[in-house]
Amino acid sequence: MLAVVLRRLGLMVLVFAGLVVIAFLMTQVLPGDPARAAAGRNASPEQIAAVASQLGLDQPVWRQFLRYAGRLLHGDLGTSVVTHRPVLADLGEVLPVSLELVLAAMLLNLVIGVPLGVLAAYRRGRWADGLTRVVVLLGAAVPAFWLGLILQLVLSDRLHWLPLSGRLTYGYRVDDLTGMVTFDALVTGRWATFGNALAHLVLPAVTLAAPFIAVVARTVRSSMISVLDADFVQLARATGAGEWRVVVRHALRNALGPIITIVGMQLGWMLGATVLVESTFNRGGIGAYTVNAVLQNDLYAVIGSVLAIGVVFIVANVVVDLLQPALDPRLRGGGRAVSGLSVGGRPDLAVGPAGVTDPSAPDVEAGADNAAAAPVPVAGVQR
Amino acid sequence: MTAPTRRSAVAGSADGRPGGLRGPWFARRRPRRGPAGSVLERVAVVVALVMVVLAVVGPWIAPQNPYRVDLGQSLLPPSAAHLFGTDVNGRDVFSRVLTGARETLLATVIVLVVATVLGVLIGTAAALGGRVVDEVLMRICDIGLSLPSIVLALGLAASLGPSLTSAVVAMCLTWWPGYARLVRTVVRQHRDAEYVEAARSIGAGPVRVVVRHLLPTVVPVMLVQVTLDVAAVMLVISGLSFVGVGAQVPAAEWGAMIAAAVDDISTAWWALLFPGLAIAVTAVAFNLAGDWLRVRTDPTVRWSR
Repeated sequence: MLAVVLRRLGLMVLVFAGLVVIAFLMTQVLPGDPARAAAGRNASPEQIAAVASQLGLDQPVWRQFLRYAGRLLHGDLGTSVVTHRPVLADLGEVLPVSLELVLAAMLLNLVIGVPLGVLAAYRRGRWADGLTRVVVLLGAAVPAFWLGLILQLVLSDRLHWLPLSGRLTYGYRVDDLTGMVTFDALVTGRWATFGNALAHLVLPAVTLAAPFIAVVARTVRSSMISVLDADFVQLARATGAGEWRVVVRHALRNALGPIITIVGMQLGWMLGATVLVESTFNRGGIGAYTVNAVLQNDLYAVIGSVLAIGVVFIVANVVVDLLQPALDPRLRGGGRAVSGLSVGGRPDLAVGPAGVTDPSAPDVEAGADNAAAAPVPVAGVQR
Repeated sequence: MTAPTRRSAVAGSADGRPGGLRGPWFARRRPRRGPAGSVLERVAVVVALVMVVLAVVGPWIAPQNPYRVDLGQSLLPPSAAHLFGTDVNGRDVFSRVLTGARETLLATVIVLVVATVLGVLIGTAAALGGRVVDEVLMRICDIGLSLPSIVLALGLAASLGPSLTSAVVAMCLTWWPGYARLVRTVVRQHRDAEYVEAARSIGAGPVRVVVRHLLPTVVPVMLVQVTLDVAAVMLVISGLSFVGVGAQVPAAEWGAMIAAAVDDISTAWWALLFPGLAIAVTAVAFNLAGDWLRVRTDPTVRWSR
């Protein structure tokens, strides 16, 4: 077990190193001149050259990279040429904002997605299944940025039910503890602020969660279907356990494997998807920060935010991988070969009794957990 | 033969269950396939095909020039003259949505084709190239998959300069690792199969084994995945355009059209609504078509009986 963990962590470091290289190289071909951007609009060529050498931009690429990597090891991500602050400080400010949104969206995701999937599997072919299918289809098809705008238009602009954008109405006070407004207000007992912040959170969270709810519902459904037909569920029924207990304690628990894998990956994806959502709702956060950095050729800010999102994504995946055996005794014992990082779903860790997938039903989703389809990130979401 | 019998054959093969219909014709029912049923899927396949046709002929059947600015016609609501209304520059939204089918879908198709080719080449190489090659290629895939593709594509597209071409190139570079893994898995499942051994033993060379025996096993799986990914890629591409690193503003690309309509959202909802609907309808159609294809071609479904 320890060897597995160590190998997984080693791979994590390797992948991260690769990510650093890619993120760095990616910005090397930036069309704009970062030195010009840093020196200001009216800088003379000499001033630009001076800034370039000050930033080390006149050095060969590999040297710039070594310099960047060396600083990275000391926790220095460079300075943003737009905000004139260390990128790390900027990230420290925007990450909690996004995390608040992502956590809210994840909560919605689980609270809506899991029951929908369970219900659809349990009442396969009935209206609940139909409803789930509609949700799955729409969630995977409606562009998040457009959904956000439509929700804004209808619920804020026309009906005035919810605030249009921002994180807090001007005038509400909050003590800054974590940077997550709702959390801070809740902890310090500022109920009015909490309510206001929560109202601001609803639309962006729904927007962000929509495509992910579709994926969760779909995964839960296919995972539950494969388990509900299994012998042990019949056995549980035969022993006289109530349906509720059979479904939740026996079936859902055994169907958890693929669900946890997907949800873990979704955490990183959601953080990435903030890129499309945050600007619309004017919330700040890492998505908006990344987009701004990209549009303004802010070299280090781009690399920094790409790395930050990458780190969350990678860590979430590793945590999920290591969590799996803890939750599912069938995966313990280290007998399974660990050949790679679980980024994108692992066929050899795909849980659920293999081959139990009901072949008599033309269940289109069921294939998702079969080994052949497993390594592909789930369709329908910005992966 | 009579029509009902033919239908029974079709229905039987559609869900892979022979003998789905029994009894006299008036008592026969199609086997239940869930409330959404196969009718919806067939409609979806048709809609998906219509979208493909639109992508080809859209710009020619557009009633008006999608790029003609007429400030006198600015922000007109939908009417007989302008089915989807006009945008802030007085351009006909309906014509722009039709034209956009080509922009958006062509970009999507290019991404999927390039990513498929890369994925098949790299995935096959990983599956057959020995341990070291496999390890190296798969670690590269890991890195590629260690970021949400929208973020990676955002960075790449920005570094190439904001244009639809950069968005397409960036997506090509970000989308293949998933395919490489899929292809690798499938090829590995088959590389030691008896029929492949048999082919080798009668003297088939490695190229012949790959092309004639291994790649055909990849085709159905990839076909389904690619169809399902049409929606995903389209959403990312239009998202990149929406954010500002893809197609630029005058372009009749659906994402860029939405971005351009944001400022007038409260006065002219139509300029925003219709391009988004176009994306959503196309995405739903391709996802359903993909599901339909999966049921028809998925070897795990077919082989299990």
